[in-house]
Amino acid sequence: MRISTSQIYSSGVLGLQSNQQSLFKLQNQLSSGRRILTPADDPVASAQALVVTQSKDINSQYIENQGSARAQLGTLETTLGSVVDLVQATRERAVEAKGILTDNQRGFIATDMKVKLEALLSLANSSDGSGQFLFSGYQGGTRPFAIDGSVAPVPPATQAPVTYFGDEGQRLVQVDASRQMASNVSGSEVFMGIRAGNGTFSTSVAGNSGGGINQGTALIDSGSVANPALWNTAVNAHGGFRIEFSMGGSGLEYQIYETNAPNAPMLAAPAAYTPGQAIPLQKTTAPAADFGARVVISGTPAVGDRFSVTPSSDQSIFKTIQNLIGAIETPVTATFTSTELKNRINAELTNLDRVIDNLGRVMADVGTRQKELETLTTGAKDMDLQYATTLSDLQDLDYTKAISDFTQQQTQLEAAQKTFAQVSRLSLFDIL
Amino acid sequence: MSSGIIGVGITGIRAAQVGLLTTEHNITNASTPGFSRQRIIQSTTPPVATGAGFIGQGTIVTQIERLYSQSLVNQVNTAQTNVSELDAYYTEIKQIDNLLADENSGLSPALQDFFRGVQSVASNPSLLAARQSMISSAEALVSRFRSVENRLSELYDGVNTEIRSTVETVNSYAQQIAELNQRIVLAQAGNNQQPNDLLDQRDYLVAELNKLVEVKARVDSDGSYSVFYGNGQQLVVGATVSKLVVQASYSDITRMVVGVQAAGSVQELPENLMTGGALAGLLNFRSETLDKSSNDIGRLAATLTLTFNAQHALGQDLLGQALGEGSFAANFLTVSQPLVVANTLNASAATVSATFASPTAATGGGFYTNLSNSDYRLTYNGANYTLTRLSDNQSWSNATIAGLSAAVSPSEGFTLASAGVMAAGDSFTLMPTRFAARNIAVNSAVAADPRLIAAATPVRTTTGSTNSGSGMVTAGTVATGYALGALPVTITYNSGTNQLTGFPGGPVAYNPAGTTVTFNGISLQITGTPANNDTFVVARNAAGVADNRNALALGKLQTQATVAGGTANYQDAYARLVSDVGNKTREIQVTGAAQSALLKQSQDARESLSGVNLDEEAANLLRYQQAYQASAKMLDIGSKLFDVILSIRS
Repeated sequence: MRISTSQIYSSGVLGLQSNQQSLFKLQNQLSSGRRILTPADDPVASAQALVVTQSKDINSQYIENQGSARAQLGTLETTLGSVVDLVQATRERAVEAKGILTDNQRGFIATDMKVKLEALLSLANSSDGSGQFLFSGYQGGTRPFAIDGSVAPVPPATQAPVTYFGDEGQRLVQVDASRQMASNVSGSEVFMGIRAGNGTFSTSVAGNSGGGINQGTALIDSGSVANPALWNTAVNAHGGFRIEFSMGGSGLEYQIYETNAPNAPMLAAPAAYTPGQAIPLQKTTAPAADFGARVVISGTPAVGDRFSVTPSSDQSIFKTIQNLIGAIETPVTATFTSTELKNRINAELTNLDRVIDNLGRVMADVGTRQKELETLTTGAKDMDLQYATTLSDLQDLDYTKAISDFTQQQTQLEAAQKTFAQVSRLSLFDIL
Repeated sequence: MSSGIIGVGITGIRAAQVGLLTTEHNITNASTPGFSRQRIIQSTTPPVATGAGFIGQGTIVTQIERLYSQSLVNQVNTAQTNVSELDAYYTEIKQIDNLLADENSGLSPALQDFFRGVQSVASNPSLLAARQSMISSAEALVSRFRSVENRLSELYDGVNTEIRSTVETVNSYAQQIAELNQRIVLAQAGNNQQPNDLLDQRDYLVAELNKLVEVKARVDSDGSYSVFYGNGQQLVVGATVSKLVVQASYSDITRMVVGVQAAGSVQELPENLMTGGALAGLLNFRSETLDKSSNDIGRLAATLTLTFNAQHALGQDLLGQALGEGSFAANFLTVSQPLVVANTLNASAATVSATFASPTAATGGGFYTNLSNSDYRLTYNGANYTLTRLSDNQSWSNATIAGLSAAVSPSEGFTLASAGVMAAGDSFTLMPTRFAARNIAVNSAVAADPRLIAAATPVRTTTGSTNSGSGMVTAGTVATGYALGALPVTITYNSGTNQLTGFPGGPVAYNPAGTTVTFNGISLQITGTPANNDTFVVARNAAGVADNRNALALGKLQTQATVAGGTANYQDAYARLVSDVGNKTREIQVTGAAQSALLKQSQDARESLSGVNLDEEAANLLRYQQAYQASAKMLDIGSKLFDVILSIRS
């Protein structure tokens, strides 16, 4: 084939340029460490890398969120621990108050309990690092608990009740793609919404039918529920019950009355009373019904003494302690007032047990969340590594290969340069 | 006879001279573009008949021919016009490719940062610093949108400028070809020889023209070229040039288009008529890649704005305000409405406006829009309005604009309205998302007061404090169009009827597995076993400064399918654009390389025939020099022979 002189030059230059282009690209890749310099180099991998980058970013955001949830749950756990300690100490003092003590000595206990109540209130109003109250739900800026002076004290408490100004809102943290975890517990859940009594119903002294407090020495326990379904039906029908003692032919007898119709007897005939015997709650008038629950009354009631069995409603920790203080501060003047004190303290001790149960439940819940966070964080960190590997596979340069390519390209360019110089130097005119 | 000797010698000298001149011409034009090497064709002069036979009378140069092949030149031109088209395309698309590749100027990091800001508000809803950081990251995101859009706008301007200068050059080449046509016709009329250099120049101009736009040249009987482009449109015929015109398009005045001067007005040429050359490269780049990229970025901006705002509007700000109250800002971002351009040839002064439709609420939370990345054309034929989606020519027709709007808004994501009476033949161009990325901004009210970020949900629920059952209530959500007027609402459980009562639209039957109560756009769920007369209160979320429910919902938008009818999230949509541009760039690159190889082959073939080889010319120089010397020697011999005769006399 005939070659023209300009072909020699243009081909030579073209060859040099394409070599230089390849070298330039390799050099860029080597200096940036990236295999893909622009999306055109590998469009599919570029798009994939963008998607993986977002996944990786979001994943590290989850790890961050998990950290902040962990910190908040940690604060919560510490505070709840202090609350449990306080409640335990209060319970010990309450048990102590049941002993044979003078009014004066009980006065000291009452004072100590008041201090504990204050401490509890201040714990309930704790705030987190950023100044948000821990237990106020959504209303982070609202002090959740305060003694509400506008409301009259509800006996036996002598102090105005503590009101909750927060709400039941959950402060959620996105800890995983499909998991939003609450980083708080609401004050109502910890301090307010505690089922009184045995959780289903509470028992209490209801005063003598002749007026005043019970005159006998009968003590009532917190009762037990054998069949919750029957109990629920009974409560929906009758509201609650009252056990009243009377003197029958062969000694003390009791009758059960419903709350909805206060004087309608439940038993066809009053039943004989044996101290320490379980009294089944039931209806023997037609239509007869078993209420699925029983209470035990021990000691000797006086005629007309009454005890009530009411479905449990929520009672706050504060109300329980205030009730205890109110009961303890009541002077003991006779055997029956001592019995009244014991009955009242017993009732509130049952309530305190519910409080401790509830705190235990909340702490277990918080603990479970912390445990879940650990698992999530471990998983998320694994994922992070996974994403990093994928991203590296997609984008990063294989240095060994790139350097070897570079060397090869360099050799090629040098060869092209040398040969071009030599070929272009050849001319017949030089010889003429 | 001796005069014969001298005469023959002189023909040799003359021929050698012409040979030398032609060789020198070749040498001096070795690097002249478009030059074809020339050579002399020598033949014998007519011999003299004698009794002894025919005596040769020397030589004569009959022709100086150029070594030229029309088919090789055509091959070069075809390859060249393809390469030039791809080169022009590549130069432009490479800029978008680089723009998207850059980690700092790309959209992706800003998008991630923005949602990081949203997350920080979700983590600390009452912290002003977190709110400020969300606003700052939003400002960074919108400015990134604008800078990407700005870069694309520059490319539009660049394309417009280049189209103008390309067409000017085309016209100038066409003019020069017409002039050369005249000179060639004149030159050929004088004698029967080819004016080689003029022909080379004209071929060169045709080759140059092919770099700008693909043309075909046809040789007429008088030797002039007729030059055509497209599918037979005349550019040059003989000495006449039909000039191309560049002007703003009738349908979109921001767009420079190529047309021809027709009687009284300029007629726009369809863009697909221009094949090959830089002009086609530019036009194709604009219609295939630039429009789509701008629309894609715009769609992302518009969708982000619409979906984010829709969720933001369901919130409650730090001041406790919800939608419609006080200074509540429903919109966190703002964006311009779709652009509608009236055709400048419209007979009426009617106007059309388009508005983004509200995004659709997705099942499972979040929102999505149906916006496409296409432009649309609205036409009126006197009876019906027709909207055509230009990407696939899907069209909708209706007798009224309102009817048309109702027909398109569910699937296309915008509504239409018009003012004034249209005349038959009027048309409008709709670019729903073209400039959205240019005009996206953070709502200035929110930017000035971070407390207006709606991180909370406007309602909350409480279980009654005297409840004795175990019924539980969820926190409550609101949907678009909700109303708070009825709050607080107390929902009561009645065990006798097993119903929930006390709310607008109630009662509903209760199912312990979960009963959803919905009224006025507010929804909540009650589960568990409530006791008779247990209550659940739905109230305003007063002072709910630590509530982050709406911020969480905003954060979730990042991974929800919000774009393109709920098929992709923001990042997916962006990745799709990057992949599309990357693929197109690669395609152009690969095709360009193949075409360049083809061009080199055809150029080599042409060079092989027509190119000057200096070594060859050096040999020719020697050859003609020696021929000259030999012929001169003949003169010498002739002269000496004559001297012999003269000396006899003396």
